[in-house]
Amino acid sequence: MKFSSSWLAEHIDGLTLAPAELGSLITIKTAECEGVEAHGAHFDHVVVARVLTSEPIPGTHLAVTSVDTGRYGIKQVVCGAPNCRANLLTAYVPPGQLGVTNAKLRGVDSAGMLASAKELGISSEDEGIIEFVTGNPGDAIPGCSSDTIIEIDNKSLTHRPDLWGHHGMAREVSAITGRALRPLSADLPSGPAPIAVSIVDPKLCPRFSALRFENVTVQPSPLWLQQRLESVGLNPINNIVDVTNFVMADLAQPMHAYDAAKLNGGITVRTAADGEPCPALNGTTYFLDPSVLVIADESGPVGIAGIIGGGPSAISASTTTILLEAANFHAASIRKTSTKLKLRTDASMRFEKSQDPANTVRALARAIALLEQVSPGIRVVGGVADVYYPAAPPAPIEFSLAWMRRKLGKADLTAAEVTAILTSLAFGVTETDGEFTVTVPSWRATKDVSIKDDLVEEVGRMIGYGNLTPLPPLVPNTVPPLPPERAYLRGLRQLLTAQGYTEVYNYSFVNEAQALELGLPIADHVRVVNPIAQGQELLRTSLLPHIKRNINDNAREFESFRLFEIGKEIHDRGRDLPEEIPHLAAVSFTKHGDGTASLFELKRLAGTIAVGCTLEPATAHSYEHPFRSAVVILRNEPIGRLFEFHPSAVETGRAAVLYLDLVKLQALRPETGKYRPLRRFPTSAFDLTVVADPRELAGRVLGLIEPLAGPQALKVQYLYDYTSERGRSMTYRITVGAADRTLTSDEVTATRAAIIKGLEASGLTVQS
Amino acid sequence: MIETLLSDLAAATQARIAAVTTADELETIRVEVLGRKGKLAEVSKDMGKLSPEQRGVVGKLLNAAKQSLEETLSTRQNAFAAAALAARLECEWLDLTVPAPGPGLGSLHPLTQIQAEIEDLFVSLGFTVLDGPEVETEFNNFDALNIPPDHPARDMQDTFWLSNGHLLRTHTSPVQVRGMKKLGPPLRMIAPGRVFRNEEVDASHEHTFYQLEGMMVDKDVSVAHLIYFMKTLLSAIFKRDVTVRLRPGYFPFVEPGFELDIQCLICNGTGCPVCKHSGWVELLPCGLVHPNVLRLGGIDPEEYSGFAFGLGLTRLVMMRYAIDDIRQLQGGDLRFLTQF
Repeated sequence: MKFSSSWLAEHIDGLTLAPAELGSLITIKTAECEGVEAHGAHFDHVVVARVLTSEPIPGTHLAVTSVDTGRYGIKQVVCGAPNCRANLLTAYVPPGQLGVTNAKLRGVDSAGMLASAKELGISSEDEGIIEFVTGNPGDAIPGCSSDTIIEIDNKSLTHRPDLWGHHGMAREVSAITGRALRPLSADLPSGPAPIAVSIVDPKLCPRFSALRFENVTVQPSPLWLQQRLESVGLNPINNIVDVTNFVMADLAQPMHAYDAAKLNGGITVRTAADGEPCPALNGTTYFLDPSVLVIADESGPVGIAGIIGGGPSAISASTTTILLEAANFHAASIRKTSTKLKLRTDASMRFEKSQDPANTVRALARAIALLEQVSPGIRVVGGVADVYYPAAPPAPIEFSLAWMRRKLGKADLTAAEVTAILTSLAFGVTETDGEFTVTVPSWRATKDVSIKDDLVEEVGRMIGYGNLTPLPPLVPNTVPPLPPERAYLRGLRQLLTAQGYTEVYNYSFVNEAQALELGLPIADHVRVVNPIAQGQELLRTSLLPHIKRNINDNAREFESFRLFEIGKEIHDRGRDLPEEIPHLAAVSFTKHGDGTASLFELKRLAGTIAVGCTLEPATAHSYEHPFRSAVVILRNEPIGRLFEFHPSAVETGRAAVLYLDLVKLQALRPETGKYRPLRRFPTSAFDLTVVADPRELAGRVLGLIEPLAGPQALKVQYLYDYTSERGRSMTYRITVGAADRTLTSDEVTATRAAIIKGLEASGLTVQS
Repeated sequence: MIETLLSDLAAATQARIAAVTTADELETIRVEVLGRKGKLAEVSKDMGKLSPEQRGVVGKLLNAAKQSLEETLSTRQNAFAAAALAARLECEWLDLTVPAPGPGLGSLHPLTQIQAEIEDLFVSLGFTVLDGPEVETEFNNFDALNIPPDHPARDMQDTFWLSNGHLLRTHTSPVQVRGMKKLGPPLRMIAPGRVFRNEEVDASHEHTFYQLEGMMVDKDVSVAHLIYFMKTLLSAIFKRDVTVRLRPGYFPFVEPGFELDIQCLICNGTGCPVCKHSGWVELLPCGLVHPNVLRLGGIDPEEYSGFAFGLGLTRLVMMRYAIDDIRQLQGGDLRFLTQF
């Protein structure tokens, strides 16, 4: 929202603050100022000038003129405007302004420029150079002056309907500077309503006020009005529309002017019928539905309430009578419609902030005076048509000085200070012995201020938060109850980096192609309903799609690398919130070797993370190497997988992956139990070599030996293997012992024999 | 006779010892001369034939010769051993400037690092650390934070809506609601985590980024307390004394609400391009917890009050490491990630 500092100054007695300083004060006390910029500085230099002579330059559309500029003397200027002629009063721009320099055009010297309204930044009119009816060479351009624009961040005005106009901001400036706000005229004509108005649902439209004018002349606005609108980013259109926009930019009350001759009968504010068309003044016809509020006459909609006026009843050059509307609409309804129609207008932006219904008639009063200025001879017909369903007045807010002091943390705050601040912001204040009763002005009561906490902000910001002394709180010193997962995950990350793995963060989104590549069923995913970019359709049910991408991306830069991610799988549970399960994916990639080293490196990693885990061969997924895939088992529970990516998924090298469910893993971690006394008697060990099928699993044989070894077996270790035509020979070392004595050689031999017998019973051969 | 024999043997042997070139030759001499069946032993065998007087004299000579030879032998033996060791060590020459085999140190993502650092600071001040889900209910993300349906503040946060009727949290603030219900008053908590906004991505905008929510609820928590905490923590984060200022900011879940600025750390407030010549850098939104939010969290606003704040971890990381493209943080490029 742009604020003209000259406009603000017109509302305040004796405001002399420099605009930059004003911008800083508004930032500290009210809303964020995003910038302070000079506007129309050239108006300090551009002058009215009379064309004395104008001679065409042969063979061109240009003319060489002699111009009386008053202040700058008689100048020779080359001009290409079709309306350039002797005796014309126009605008002269001296060199150095608006990028104009002393130039030579077609060999003719030109000292400055004669300018159009567009070139002067007054309007978009550029048919020819500007023409004045009265004035003298050397005069300043009438109604135009240099200004400074203060730009305020719209987001910081979300809760302040009153600050969407200059008058509201001027009230803030008045409270900040202590300078008085000038009162506005509220005079309205009395008389019969000039049009019948009915409101179907007062919730959607609490108030509709209108005036009718006759003897209207539609013409361009005077320059001051055009320049003023231009300076705050509004386009001048014609005098009538410009007045409605001016009042909106001043009082935050959007208005609309209808060509009264084009209206058929009375006005009804109602919701649209399903599919009902409304031709709007932007040239688009909108097809509406019953959620949309319209202003309708007896023939149909003449405007979409609070958003845009209708096309056929718009002001045109032939308009002679107008109906001027100032209404109030339900904020959420306007916001919904504006979103649905993808049509945000200056009006809708204001209405969706909850405008003040009391404001409609203030706007009409302000418009009367302006219309009389810009359309000479204009007359009001009758009085105000005003249908108003006022809301119950809000209850006064009560609080104590002690409470306000505690909230702000300012013990020396006085009742007089509080009263002065709230009064300067137009709150009604009564105070007895530190007990306050405060009434809220109508423009703050629509949404912004309703409870005592809202007043803490009013008092705090006007005192200035910089005037509060930082205060340590007096609270018990307690050890925070920290969740164990955080310490666990932190330790895990440290372990992984110490082992050489670098952490990546990936998005929670995947696209359908990524999911399909890994055989993840699309229907299992939570879907994003409104993605704005590709690749955001689904929430990931696995970290692997992005991990695969990470591998292939980095393979372009590195011969080998290690990386990991700790992130959440998101699993749909219908209407319930999805289950979010933290997982670890660790990758060791290399372009060299047969991949064995990477897989065993990750197996070792699994052993350090999930102490005591074992691997069992798994049926490989489509993206896994069909003969290099295993389930990681901890305490008989599967907690994840170890595999090598299928060469079709990772083509440039071998990528071993460890993928673990961290929730299961944490739940299965062994608790530290009691200390076990150290062994006092020596142990014995013997080796056994088992000869089996070439693809017999070392782990399966180990699993057979352990129960056979009996209670005296302390450790069964796989040592090495050797594969020949005979099969696979695997050697194990079995350590036995007793807690209370040394085992005799007979006992050891008996154990050995029992194991051999058992293994042979299982169909294995034991080498003697 | 025997004396001459002995002195000749001693002299000859000394000469031989002096001439050896290997430890093996030395050993051969030792066996030949000093061994159990060596030449000295043979000499001593003949001792029995001598008279007791002679035996005494020859015995002494014999011992002297033996001792002298053993000494010489031992000296040379030591010299050979030392040379052998030196030769072995020399063979073991190793180029330690060769890179070590096996993996080097990996690195933690910069967001992990800064998050851990800030968590530690808050824990040291008695704050607990909570986690919240990435997918949230509309109620927790908006309604419970005093942002009812159709509130224009919902426009400020472009939301990813999901097929299950829920949404991706647009801020970490819903953990306030979870925290109040879980911990009850009084409480001090932070909640770092991933948040989402439905935005086009470019060098300075991301749809996925990280925030850290903080909240303290106790009796009579005031704006002055909030300023104290923020100043203390930000000074610790930036490792220097920072000047903060509060100015009005609108966030429906706090009242009053603030934007907290810190005095620009580059120019110390005199104005530079980083602070757009204002002397201040906008850092975090904060405020006193809105009574409606306390109430929905099951806390009586007449008895308790609190402050809340939201710190942009992604922004902090970018400031600290002068990262100019936000997309790198989730790009998975090890050329970038291994720098931290």
